[in-house]
Amino acid sequence: MEFITLVIYLSMFIGIFALVFYVLSFIEGNKRKRLFYSDFELPKVSVIIPAYNEEETIERTLLSITKSDYPDFEVLVIDDGSKDRTLEIAKKFEGKYIRVFHKENGGKGTALNFGIKHAQGKIIFSMDADTTVAPQSMKNMVRYFKEQEVMSVTPAMVIDNPRSVLQRVQSIEYLAGLFLRKSFASLKSIYISPGAFSAYRKSFFDKYGSYDEKNITEDLEMALRIQSLNYVTENCPDAPAYTIAPSRFKELLIQRRRWYFGLIKNLLNYKKIISRKYGDLGSFVIPIAIVSVFFAIFITTYFFFKILFEVKKEILFLNGINFDFGNMVNFNFHIVERFLFQLFSNPVVLFVIFFMFVLIAYLRYALKKLDRSVKFILDVPLFLLFFSVLFSLWWIVSIVYSFFYQEIKWR
Amino acid sequence: MEQRDIQSKKRYVVSFFVACLIFLIIFGVSYSLSYFELQRVSYLQDSSAYQIFEDKLIADFFNEDNCNLSLFSKISQDLNFHGRIMDDLEKKFGKGDKDILFRKNFYSLVEVEHFDFVNEFNLRCNASFIPLLFFYSNEPSKVEDSEFVGGLISSISSKNSKVMVYSFDINLESDIVKRLKLKYNITESPTVIVGNNLIFHPRNSDNIEKFIN
Repeated sequence: MEFITLVIYLSMFIGIFALVFYVLSFIEGNKRKRLFYSDFELPKVSVIIPAYNEEETIERTLLSITKSDYPDFEVLVIDDGSKDRTLEIAKKFEGKYIRVFHKENGGKGTALNFGIKHAQGKIIFSMDADTTVAPQSMKNMVRYFKEQEVMSVTPAMVIDNPRSVLQRVQSIEYLAGLFLRKSFASLKSIYISPGAFSAYRKSFFDKYGSYDEKNITEDLEMALRIQSLNYVTENCPDAPAYTIAPSRFKELLIQRRRWYFGLIKNLLNYKKIISRKYGDLGSFVIPIAIVSVFFAIFITTYFFFKILFEVKKEILFLNGINFDFGNMVNFNFHIVERFLFQLFSNPVVLFVIFFMFVLIAYLRYALKKLDRSVKFILDVPLFLLFFSVLFSLWWIVSIVYSFFYQEIKWR
Repeated sequence: MEQRDIQSKKRYVVSFFVACLIFLIIFGVSYSLSYFELQRVSYLQDSSAYQIFEDKLIADFFNEDNCNLSLFSKISQDLNFHGRIMDDLEKKFGKGDKDILFRKNFYSLVEVEHFDFVNEFNLRCNASFIPLLFFYSNEPSKVEDSEFVGGLISSISSKNSKVMVYSFDINLESDIVKRLKLKYNITESPTVIVGNNLIFHPRNSDNIEKFIN
């Protein structure tokens, strides 16, 4: 057996093992009785929206948050020295419970910390200026804070109105993530909280400090800090939050490079949590994620070069038949049978089909939670075709950057 | 806050065994498909062999002239398919598998019978079929060259329906193949025989077509 075949089979086995484990954890997690705030117990909430040059989306964001059914909340818009009309648009919404601040540009972390200093709520939401939320999202998320060990709650993060191929691929990724995030929550192992919309207990900031302003992924650092102190981040799949995904390849690469670079740097800073002392998070969830990344990079890189090699072979062959495309192949039904046999008798293809069904199950769960019916059937093949290549590329770029650069810019 | 234990060791154990089960089921399905394909191709091969032996017997033993040209093209395609699928199955089950070895040997025998019949048919029915013998290898160091030449031959046969291709695994432990190699002085692969012309490792379809035309 070739070495690459062994590597693929090993990665498939690890993938199946992790999948079964997460499904079992999800089931066990659903059985666990949790404490939730009732409507009368809900504490005051402060929604902090840091904004920099968000004139195109800030109005939509503010309109969505004002439609929330949460009984007692305030909104603090922190304009971080925008050069466009962000401040002017936000000011139109200023009123009883929406306050707008302006400060010199200093980065998202500084804007969030500015907001925390002025916040009156016991629960702080950080919300991106291009995110929108369902009216029930805040209430459903805050209920989880009844349990004192919960310091943060994450929503059901999804892509808003995906159109381009890249956005549709990301949409599937986000939807599939809903199930996994709930499984991780069952294991008390959420180590990434989306900066686009997450909730935190204000007393955590008071006791352990606010956002790290020098960190390119301050939301990731916060999630790892919570874990390192053995507190809990919960997940609320009944709280949809919609974010805009990059539609162009370069934009997406820059975003993912920042995320994964930030994750590498933050994990290195918090490497102590990769140990048995941190339960399932340190023993399994993070190690498996790291191993999966390396498998993905190795296998995708191998197949990338193999495809190049096959293309070269094909060109040499076409040259051998004088580029007679019409007679390249002696076509008959035997060729179809042979192709189908080679395809479906290959265990790797069967594993891919298995994972495709798992993905569809994840997506059905997500759409049930979001109460949406979306035709994702066409997007699944796009996801299967492109995601592994994109994922490997993002990680390769991020790992290279983390070796050669101490820091990278936001944009 | 106190440090955490793993929630449930039992869950890891159960996950491992369930993963093993799923893994084995997938390999089982893959093996079963290969087994069913072997059964199917064995049946097809027997049917083709029966047809060839019957036609040959009618012509040789009963001296009846059956100059039906239309059957030849189909049988040639069928034989090529049997050969290719046997190579695929050999990769799945291994070179030493008895069933595969038997089928490849039988396949070589059937091919030689048909090759002989086509030569007779050309004489008897004044036909102009062009039998082409192709000796290939599945050895890792030679398989790419063999696949390249196989592709050239496939392209040639798609252009010319009179071309009949007979492929033989040069490494097959078969008396028939050994005798063929001796008869045509085959020592290396990939080698193509057209009439009395031996072409070793043709790089272009023209190298073969000049002997066909």
